[in-house]
Amino acid sequence: MNGPGATDLEIPRGRLIRSRVGVASALDAAFSRELTGYARIEPDSLLADGEPGVVTFAEGVPRAAYCERGTGDGERRGDSHEPERPIGGDSRGVDALAALAGPGPCSVELYELPADALAEVHDAPEFSVPPGAPAEELADDPALAERTRDRAPADAHDGEASALESFLEDEERIAAIQEEARAEAEQRAAEWGLDDQLE
Amino acid sequence: MVEALAVASGKGGVGKTTSTLALGMALAADHDVTVVDADTGMANLCFHTGLADADTTLQDLLLADSDAAVEDAVYDRFGLSLVPCGTSLAAFREADPTRLRAVVAELAADTDVLLLDSAAALGSQSAVLPLVLADRTVVVLQPTIPSLSDGLKVQEYARSYGTETAGVLFNRVQDDEAIDRVAEQAEQYFGGPTLATIPESDAARAARRAGEPLLAYAPDSAAAAAYRRAADRLDLQDRDEDAVADRFRSAVIPEPP
Ligand SMILES: Nc1ncnc2c1ncn2[C@@H]1O[C@H](COP(=O)(O)OP(=O)(O)O)[C@@H](O)[C@H]1O
Ligand SMILES: [Mg+2]
Repeated sequence: MNGPGATDLEIPRGRLIRSRVGVASALDAAFSRELTGYARIEPDSLLADGEPGVVTFAEGVPRAAYCERGTGDGERRGDSHEPERPIGGDSRGVDALAALAGPGPCSVELYELPADALAEVHDAPEFSVPPGAPAEELADDPALAERTRDRAPADAHDGEASALESFLEDEERIAAIQEEARAEAEQRAAEWGLDDQLE
Repeated sequence: MVEALAVASGKGGVGKTTSTLALGMALAADHDVTVVDADTGMANLCFHTGLADADTTLQDLLLADSDAAVEDAVYDRFGLSLVPCGTSLAAFREADPTRLRAVVAELAADTDVLLLDSAAALGSQSAVLPLVLADRTVVVLQPTIPSLSDGLKVQEYARSYGTETAGVLFNRVQDDEAIDRVAEQAEQYFGGPTLATIPESDAARAARRAGEPLLAYAPDSAAAAAYRRAADRLDLQDRDEDAVADRFRSAVIPEPP
């Protein structure tokens, strides 16, 4: 894999500065050290076909996102004739955040890059994300989202549809969350002696 | 008895207690309402109602050797019957969560609407018990992906015990335009309608600091009005009183490990 592993997103690999951290601490670290570079995010959860993704930063502020997982409008992986590419394509911008968000932890590596290495990506509107959205949607950290928005340049992304809308469009993904929760609930009911209360 | 509703959310801090009390006060216009702080691990109803120093609370009722009567833990405030829960860690550890069932049964016999402010995390028997006991749930959400996925999870836990969703509340909403689209999309996944979207509100924070429910502290605020709309949209269903009490008493749960 070349850099973060996105075919249409040419990002050199850069210098690894932090590995194996959670999304919340990665975003926080990127913010406090004013990182220019990217976070490579790898979902630990097996839920809903987790695929790796990238969030890029300019001076600690998230600018762009990409995920190798589509947001569910395609066929399921496995029905495909092109097994090496996730089905439903990839996802970009807020769609990528939606694909990366969800319950369950992720492993993150932070890489530093010279600013010009990201110029192309940061100029492409399709990858652009609102500055506070990764903290809000991936790390569930509204305070960090607020601080990030405060530091963001005035012309930062101000898109129409949100990552949340994109998440809610992904019926397959939501069905997977529901199935997993149902299985977990039933298993725990047995552990807690509540299984006679199940419907 | 009209109905027992668990007010639930996937995580803490979304405004569950604020919402429970606000819905309770709005419903109290037409019903006898009892609100129980069944979020025994993160109890905070007492701080929203000036009951932080209450002598007897749900914690006392849940102790195995308790001789407190249920009525000792009921406080009439703000037009509601309130059952706060203490915040002692020692008492929480010693509590026998299964006693909640009998407490709720007794309270249910004496009220129209029972609101159970329920635990956010779903990691223990005491946390899911309100979902088991309630007729239906009201799910409180913030308009973010983590909150929505947690809300879907709570709904599924409740459903596995036959407890359907009566409706959804979006709290702390900042983007008025986007929320309508989000609420409409969300309705396809939740068992009940979006009851209201509650704006991010200084009044809500100030009410909490003042130790009063929002509808007492700032009844004219936009957030209070939104909660009253939510209560109007909640179509309560009449339950047979004895059947409800029986259900609460039924099925002996083994002691937790
Ligand atoms: N609509 C709102 N706008 C602003 N702050 C709110 C709102 N709803 C709740 N809060 C505040 O958020 C904090 C957590 O609310 P609370 O109801 O105690 O949450 P929970 O019971 O879910 O932990 C409190 O300080 C409360 O005042
Ligand atoms: Mg609470």
